Amino acid sequence: MNEKTRFMLALITPAALVLVLFQVVPILTGANASFRDWTLHDPKRTWVGLANYIHVLRDAEFLGIVLPNTFGFMFASVALSLLLGLAIALMLNRRFPGRWLVQSFVLLPLMVAPVIAAIMIRWMFNDQFGVVNAALEGLGLAPISWLTQRWTTFFVILLTDVWLWTPWFALILLAGLQSLPPEPFEAARIDAASAWRTFRHITLPMLRPVMVVCIVIRSIDAFRTFDIVWTISGGGPARATELFSLYAYVESFQFLNLARGSAAAVIGAIIIVVFALLLYRILNRFVEVSK
Amino acid sequence: MAPARSEGFFSALAPRGKAVLFALTAIAVCLLFAFPVFWLVLTSLRPGTGVYYVHRGTEFTIDNFHEVLSQEIVIRALFNSFMISTLATVLSLGVTATSGYMLSRFKGPIPNTWFSLIYIFRCVPYVAWVLPLYFVTQQLHIFDSYWGLLLPHIAVHICFFSWIMKGFFDGIDPSMEYAAMIDGCSRWGAFWRVAMPAAIPGLTALAILCWLYTWNEFLFALILTAHETPILTVVMAQFVHELGMEWHLMSATAVIALVPALIVTLFGQRYVVRGLRI
Repeated sequence: MNEKTRFMLALITPAALVLVLFQVVPILTGANASFRDWTLHDPKRTWVGLANYIHVLRDAEFLGIVLPNTFGFMFASVALSLLLGLAIALMLNRRFPGRWLVQSFVLLPLMVAPVIAAIMIRWMFNDQFGVVNAALEGLGLAPISWLTQRWTTFFVILLTDVWLWTPWFALILLAGLQSLPPEPFEAARIDAASAWRTFRHITLPMLRPVMVVCIVIRSIDAFRTFDIVWTISGGGPARATELFSLYAYVESFQFLNLARGSAAAVIGAIIIVVFALLLYRILNRFVEVSK
Repeated sequence: MAPARSEGFFSALAPRGKAVLFALTAIAVCLLFAFPVFWLVLTSLRPGTGVYYVHRGTEFTIDNFHEVLSQEIVIRALFNSFMISTLATVLSLGVTATSGYMLSRFKGPIPNTWFSLIYIFRCVPYVAWVLPLYFVTQQLHIFDSYWGLLLPHIAVHICFFSWIMKGFFDGIDPSMEYAAMIDGCSRWGAFWRVAMPAAIPGLTALAILCWLYTWNEFLFALILTAHETPILTVVMAQFVHELGMEWHLMSATAVIALVPALIVTLFGQRYVVRGLRI
């Protein structure tokens, strides 16, 4: 082993140690559990092979509700926060009085713990005492019992997620906008290009690598969302808004079948890893093009 | 004269119309992002009986803050959360700076393998390992202690931060380090004295985000701590789960928790925007 290799390994050793002990070992422990019978009446934890996986993959709840919910939530949340974040970043990239104030307001969601934001928004959408229904009544509209129907609950969860993550998109896209070279914009101004054409043909292509990185990172995180859904709806009403993390959690702790929950978690992990590798190839292509 | 004036009139009207529209949009954006926080602050200023008509009542009180701050568990949770966030930030950045530097400066099978590994582990959902993590920390006898929460937090940060750090170091020209090494500096010296100072803007941005993230984290704190090490987010959530629906106390604690985050963000936002160029 030469001196360069030793240096490379020394640089990653601390990170690798923590990663193995606190991520690889727990994941393997969970994967091991997913091949066993973990119900309470089997103290020997018999090896059952793929039985838990087959059960999850045949579960109508998992296929018909959990997977569409998860992917729908991921696409809707990422698309909405990206669009809003981009609009806000473009706004903050201009000079106007009070810009600093607007930027501080936009950063507010980053300071609030997601679980507190979720509790607060659940409270605002409370059907009896919530401010949203009070506002609806004030406008002469009928109050809506938000958290008792599938799609309204889904809407509230989506709203919370978009509220929490739009600032993150705005912040990174703003940093990206500020690092763009000024020359192409000056050239566009000399050619009297309209604001829309400048945005469409200069800003957007130059910003694309940053946008793709944001989309990859956020999609992976949105896929595994747990805490805000758990706080707002608990997966209800009647398991209709369960995402896949919730499904694994409910199987493990409410139905006390850790093995089946672990199997669901492993299936979800495989889906998202495959998805992320595909995204990574797309990402690489975009980054190569931009260079 | 007349046509010129009318032309001037319309061109004067149009940009002003645009400016008004722009200002209205800016105000709408502010309201949208501020409203839930405003509502939280308003709820925290209500007496316990007033929270059910927050939008109508007129009586305000700061007793909630007195009551919350007189509870020993809240004070301990504040201290613990502060310590955990600060230590996690320092340790995570220390561990990932070297790992990101390695990914940025070297090519070959070792960096490629390491990069694939952190990319894959970044994707694994929390549910797949939070529960076994509970058993692991118990086996190591660090459950419900600082280390028992710190080390899993660092493990989460490793994958993401190594990736971001690689981006920071990619943006720094390595020729200075080669020059330093030709002048007799060791590899460690080149990393520590030349590359690290150049990466400070990025590190500052990441430190701020890491601190906020750990301060606000909930799931790990819920599962990996108990009575010995109360954590602020868990204590807050308990006000509306286990101890009855005490919205006013939850809100007061949340407002207190907001203050350090507010200070960190307001003073740091310039560095965050400047440092986050990936």
